[in-house]
Amino acid sequence: MTGTLDRRELLSRLATAALAASPLGRAAGALALPGPAPGRGSGPSRAVVAFARREGMVAAEGPAAGTVAVERLREALGAAVARAGDEATPVAALRRLFRPGDVVGIKLNCMGGRSLSPRPETVFALVRWLREAGVDPDRIIVWERTGRELRGAGFVLGSGPGVKVMGTDGDWEEKVREWGPSASRFSRLLVEDVTAVINLGVLKDHGLAGVSAGLKNWYGVVHNPNKLHAEGCAPYVPYLAASPLVNGKLRLTVVDAVTAQCHGGPGYAPSWAWPLEGFLATTDAVAADAVAWGLIEGRRREKGLRTLAAEGREPRFIAASERLGLGVADPRRIEVARV
Amino acid sequence: MTGPGARAPDATRRDLLRALAAAGGAACAARLAGSATAIAEDVARPGEGVVAVEEGGLAPRPARWYRKLPEDWVQCGLCPHGCRISEGERGTCGVRENRKGSLFTLVHSRPCSVAVDPVEKKPLFHVLPGVPALSLATAGCNFACKACQNWEIAQARPEQVKSATLSPRGVAELARRHAAPLVACTYTEPTVWSEYVHDVAVAARSLGVRTVVVSNGSIQEEPLRDLAPLLAAYKVDLKGFREAFYRSHCEGELKPVLDTLRRLRRHGLWTEVVVLVIPTLNDSVEEIRDLSRFVRDELGPEVPVHFTRFHPAYRLTNLPSTPVATLERAHDVARGEGLRFVYLGNVPGHRAESTWCPGCGGLLVRRLGMALLENRLKKGACPDCGRAIPGVWS
Repeated sequence: MTGTLDRRELLSRLATAALAASPLGRAAGALALPGPAPGRGSGPSRAVVAFARREGMVAAEGPAAGTVAVERLREALGAAVARAGDEATPVAALRRLFRPGDVVGIKLNCMGGRSLSPRPETVFALVRWLREAGVDPDRIIVWERTGRELRGAGFVLGSGPGVKVMGTDGDWEEKVREWGPSASRFSRLLVEDVTAVINLGVLKDHGLAGVSAGLKNWYGVVHNPNKLHAEGCAPYVPYLAASPLVNGKLRLTVVDAVTAQCHGGPGYAPSWAWPLEGFLATTDAVAADAVAWGLIEGRRREKGLRTLAAEGREPRFIAASERLGLGVADPRRIEVARV
Repeated sequence: MTGPGARAPDATRRDLLRALAAAGGAACAARLAGSATAIAEDVARPGEGVVAVEEGGLAPRPARWYRKLPEDWVQCGLCPHGCRISEGERGTCGVRENRKGSLFTLVHSRPCSVAVDPVEKKPLFHVLPGVPALSLATAGCNFACKACQNWEIAQARPEQVKSATLSPRGVAELARRHAAPLVACTYTEPTVWSEYVHDVAVAARSLGVRTVVVSNGSIQEEPLRDLAPLLAAYKVDLKGFREAFYRSHCEGELKPVLDTLRRLRRHGLWTEVVVLVIPTLNDSVEEIRDLSRFVRDELGPEVPVHFTRFHPAYRLTNLPSTPVATLERAHDVARGEGLRFVYLGNVPGHRAESTWCPGCGGLLVRRLGMALLENRLKKGACPDCGRAIPGVWS
């Protein structure tokens, strides 16, 4: 376990330095960051979700079918992030959301393998803009539950210097934390290392929860996600997302919809995947999922599938998350800003 | 409280010393558990069917007891959860994973704990008293009990614990080496590693070693039918006798456990029942009475029932240890309902740790904690009145 210890020491120093450089509580207040204290009725009344699509982002046919036009990907992602931060450029938006002293974690969802995970090009773009926004590459950690999943999605692991790409793997807290109806060990990367998070999920169907976009991605920060799938995940997702470890660090939710999937998820099911060629980005974690749900239902209608509710898979955790004050679930109070 | 259950800590100094010796044995076992890898490497043989261990410590091996579903989903048929699992995901146990539409067990031949315990620790009081049992566990459980004492391994996924590679044959050889006539599949939930249990039991039998299972009893009919003929005994942790308690504190269901107990009886497999009595949660007279009546009427009055003392653990640290008086009350209720072998656990020195003849009231097996102090049984019968005592005695 020497490697783990080395990694921990490295990250500990990083976190210590970050804390010294960035008074988080004050920064959060000054930046008017998302994440109101959870509690019934304490959430925002309205939300904006940026939705950027660029046709032609994914090659539809020919020998290059399925490959991504990186410039179009960056263009869409940049437009979405900029709008989410209410700025003209993604760099300005990220500068508004993050401080140079932050240790920024980009939490991915890579269980769909290469075909249904955030692409490395997406992460590279975010990292580049973070750097331009003043975040030192040594203070950026791209992470997922396991290194195996990261590799499976096409990432190359690295523990620095520079940007780190790593799985939590065995690096869970020793103690168990109670949260809502359950208790878990949390990833030490989340607890001890990162001070601010970009949640980068994938827009897809989930056979038990209904939808997996942003909120469901938090299952990857606890050691026992297998214990959290009863009742469509509805009793669990909101409380996990409301955990101060999560809600207190989340600054931006980005939902990768370059390739989306309307059925058969969360694993990759090619017959139900489609190139949506876009991204959602928002500072309202609940609104992101509400919009993602709408997009999935739309595609399901096109494909002649029943609604998720008709299949008994309505993602009830979205409304439940609003009830905990985590954001806006009601589409009537969400502005989808097409950019 | 009257009769053999009356509290009369009658342990002599010599008894105490013997109990300490047994505790020393347990301490050795704990160290053994800590060095499971070394033990495993000592006995594992190449070419015994142990699959390659992937990075991260997983050793996927095709699972049994499941069915394929459309879209590369599978439905596990091992326990009553019947998890529907999509590609890349795992069941609630955390140790069975869907890979490209087929279900794999990730823990076959990958124990995370190996130790030699007295059989009394299981507890199995009517199975070869005083013998050592080679005890092993892999990661994983299909419940999430708030009072779990082994949560570090039971509530973990296999890549989150240190595991050894130990083939079924290796388990059997290890048992022989430690002069253990029993292998006990225990500590976590053997149901979720049933493929390994099955293969261990087959290998053990070939070397004259018997296998026992310590389980929460939440297993479907088919795997139980496949396992039962290979086993010598089955201990079921009956968490309580109310569905609400099973849901709120175990994330399981009571009814399937009761079904398992009935099936065990039909299989003729020796069964003992353990109830962890937790203050205010499952300790009411009504609940204990209902439970006792179920055992008496559906399993038989001679099935041993152990009421064990809760100590704060895992997520239940806000409750006190169970008062001994509460356990004694449970004992009296069960005896009053006609159960003949009612024991108290985690109360060292209590008379109800010992076995008393339901015919003449004489002492049959004297215990102190996990230590066997005296076994007066003669060919499975009371030496005083000749009454046959049910169990696995030879």
